[in-house]
Amino acid sequence: MNGVVEAAAVSKWYGEVLGLNAFTASFGKGITGLVGPNGAGKSTLFKLLIGQLHSDQGKITLLGEDPWNNVSLKRRLGYCPEQNQLYGWLTGQQFVETLLRLDGMPPAKARQEATAALKVVGLSSAAHRPTRGYSRGMRQRAKLAQALAHHPEILILDEPLSGADPAGRVHILRTISDFARDGGHVVMSTHVLYEIERVTNNIVLIHNGKAIAAGDIHAIRALIDEHPHAVRIETSKPRQLAQALARMDHVVSFEFPSADMLLVRTRKPDAFYRELPQIVADTKLEVQGLESPDDSLDAVFRYLVG
Amino acid sequence: MSISLPTYSRLELPLLGRRERVRAIIATGLRREFRRPAAIVVTAIGAAFTTITSIVLLFFAPLLLPPGQRPDLTFFAVPASNGFVLFFVSLMAAVIGAGLIADDMQSMAFTLYMSRPITQTDYLLAKAAILAPLVAMVTIVPLLLTALVAALLGRVSWTVAVEAMGISLVIGGLLTAFYTAVTLFLSSLTRRKGIAAAGVFAVNFGLTVPAGVLAERIGNASLLYLSPWDDYVAVANVAFGATPSAIDWPAALAVLLGVTVLAAFVTYIRMRAVEVITG
Repeated sequence: MNGVVEAAAVSKWYGEVLGLNAFTASFGKGITGLVGPNGAGKSTLFKLLIGQLHSDQGKITLLGEDPWNNVSLKRRLGYCPEQNQLYGWLTGQQFVETLLRLDGMPPAKARQEATAALKVVGLSSAAHRPTRGYSRGMRQRAKLAQALAHHPEILILDEPLSGADPAGRVHILRTISDFARDGGHVVMSTHVLYEIERVTNNIVLIHNGKAIAAGDIHAIRALIDEHPHAVRIETSKPRQLAQALARMDHVVSFEFPSADMLLVRTRKPDAFYRELPQIVADTKLEVQGLESPDDSLDAVFRYLVG
Repeated sequence: MSISLPTYSRLELPLLGRRERVRAIIATGLRREFRRPAAIVVTAIGAAFTTITSIVLLFFAPLLLPPGQRPDLTFFAVPASNGFVLFFVSLMAAVIGAGLIADDMQSMAFTLYMSRPITQTDYLLAKAAILAPLVAMVTIVPLLLTALVAALLGRVSWTVAVEAMGISLVIGGLLTAFYTAVTLFLSSLTRRKGIAAAGVFAVNFGLTVPAGVLAERIGNASLLYLSPWDDYVAVANVAFGATPSAIDWPAALAVLLGVTVLAAFVTYIRMRAVEVITG
């Protein structure tokens, strides 16, 4: 056992609900993508890795150590949660600085590192605005900044791209790649396979609390391509955006679930994500958020698990 | 040609110790409280009202003391048992203290705190250090100011005033510790601060009022031990040398200290074992 993350038959119950079910996996160095639909157990695994949950069965280690109540290990990791933030009235700069002070960083150094981390994630211009006024994508980047700012050995990122706009996604993925290129390890979760593919080939598929497959991403690609991939786009002009996207020959259908929402189904998600920023820029249409419902991935998982 | 793999070096910094990390939580927590109008209003009104009423009592001392007796140390038992202290300490504990842990659990800020190299003990100490000084604005500061004003007006000697200040610090500190521990315990039990706040009022008035009524109806003063306020008054009366109340001060003190220590201990154990379930 010499992986960055080692999990041996780890189980976690929430009352009668099984969060993780004898999860066994070994994550190597570099970037590992944890892919699974909502409710698969990704967040539970992450909470176990950062020591905020205690496994009911099995053994889990991060960087060779048991994470539960392990204060010294926390110095070595950077965690980006999916949903929460600290206090909305804190500016981005204060948010990162406050968390760095909890690491024991002297105030002046915390200020300097917070500024640098916000620059890395492209939030310098919004650093002095309260985070409650941030878009979801900006909040994700602020959380990524606090995870990076103390120079950890490993980043644990729970759905870091959730809700981010196209430009924000590019920025986040680039930041993650740079971190790994410099020798850091990253474990990131997503329910959108195509996002992971941009930064790594190493994935672990998780479903119903179990690791059902691990290894190279390309093997599963063929399966997923058989199922149209859904992308939900938040925009003030969904019909105009649909018109612009209609020129993509791989787009299968459009739906308008609400006045400011467009649901697109595509057979080539990678091409879609690649071309979207340019189309948005050309048409000058505003895109507030981008999200992929996990129905296409869920279909593949149902296929995989029989 | 040689190929070298990228190497990643951690930032090696002389990191500050535990005290600084706790201080960082306290600073953030206090900034949060002083951004909340409810917290500011309750603290300001609570401190002002209890101080003013305590000082006003000083002017009515001739009516409160036996004829011809000048205010001495025993007089300070009167402002110490000022009913407004009970009201405002409950209000402050409910408005400020009830959300200290519950809000962090609800907003998942606790997850971010605990992803940093701090222990649950650090977190709890910081939360106590946020609440205690604010509660002390009602439990200690008015008593200190009353003694000061009494001395400045020449109502008591400086020796008596200083003695009263010392006793006020101790008994006010006891009440502060009790409400801090109990409020944080209640706040740690729930993610909804409203429930914790209701718990604070239940502990205070839900015990104090029935205990007083039943003790009088049944004629059994020992029921007053159930009331934290009556326990406090019993200790305060004896501390200032005033007429003892209906219950024994050592037992009352034991109840207050026992509950304080138990609440702190249970909160600590609970926070050690707490798991961040959602989010």
